Amino acid sequence: MEMPIPAVSPGRRRALAIVASLLAIGSAFGLSVGLRRAEARSSRQQPTPEAWLETPTPTSTARVAQGRRLFLGSCAHCHGADAAGDEGPDLHGAEVSDRYIAHIITHGIKGEMPSFAKKLGSPDIADLTAYLRSLE
Amino acid sequence: MHGASVHFPIALVLCSFALDAAGLLFSGLAARRGLHAAGYWTLLVGAAGTVPAVISGLVMTKGVVLGHDALRLHHLFAWPAFALIVGTAAWRSLASGFATRRELAAYLAVVGLAAALVSAAGYWGGEMLLAR
Repeated sequence: MEMPIPAVSPGRRRALAIVASLLAIGSAFGLSVGLRRAEARSSRQQPTPEAWLETPTPTSTARVAQGRRLFLGSCAHCHGADAAGDEGPDLHGAEVSDRYIAHIITHGIKGEMPSFAKKLGSPDIADLTAYLRSLE
Repeated sequence: MHGASVHFPIALVLCSFALDAAGLLFSGLAARRGLHAAGYWTLLVGAAGTVPAVISGLVMTKGVVLGHDALRLHHLFAWPAFALIVGTAAWRSLASGFATRRELAAYLAVVGLAAALVSAAGYWGGEMLLAR
């Protein structure tokens, strides 16, 4: 049996239903923002130790500019146009090796990021690495 | 967790719609009341079930609201379904039955849409699993 309810006018009922819907969606999106921020923070703080041992990838202004072009075409959709993170993590100040960056771009991360092996060759990856290294 | 919890709102909202729709067909007052009461409780429990489903889904995708490919399609159906189910449950919890058949028909149209959306979200959720 339905619960006995005190009389609520139809207009008020509709308004309360809309408020409930908006609250539900708002709460879900609020939780989403919190989770994404936590994820962006945690994914930045996992340095790969070989970063301190390897020879840095050669870089130049032209290479950084080309890397940015490639980034906007292939990566910005998930990492944001400024690489500060969107669906993917923030890439600023990543303490990971060039080899690690190349590996991730080439192989992707299962369930999180696709492989770009078919789209980006070694020179492209070097340009992207140069661009990522230019991010403060 | 998400895979288990989503089945409650999907099943209960579909059942709620079917029970209330069946209430339209019966002329006996007792049968109608019984069907609408069952529709009422299945909707309320289904709406309560959307909360763990949404939270576990967000945790699983690390907060992604839309995503790509099948996940995007899943979300494009899931978010409107979530809003509609919560809103309809709130409306129904404040209503003491249906005043007219027209009100019931309008209510059924909204719950039917919510049931269709949540089913489509479930379909694309299943596609993500099968595509792996």
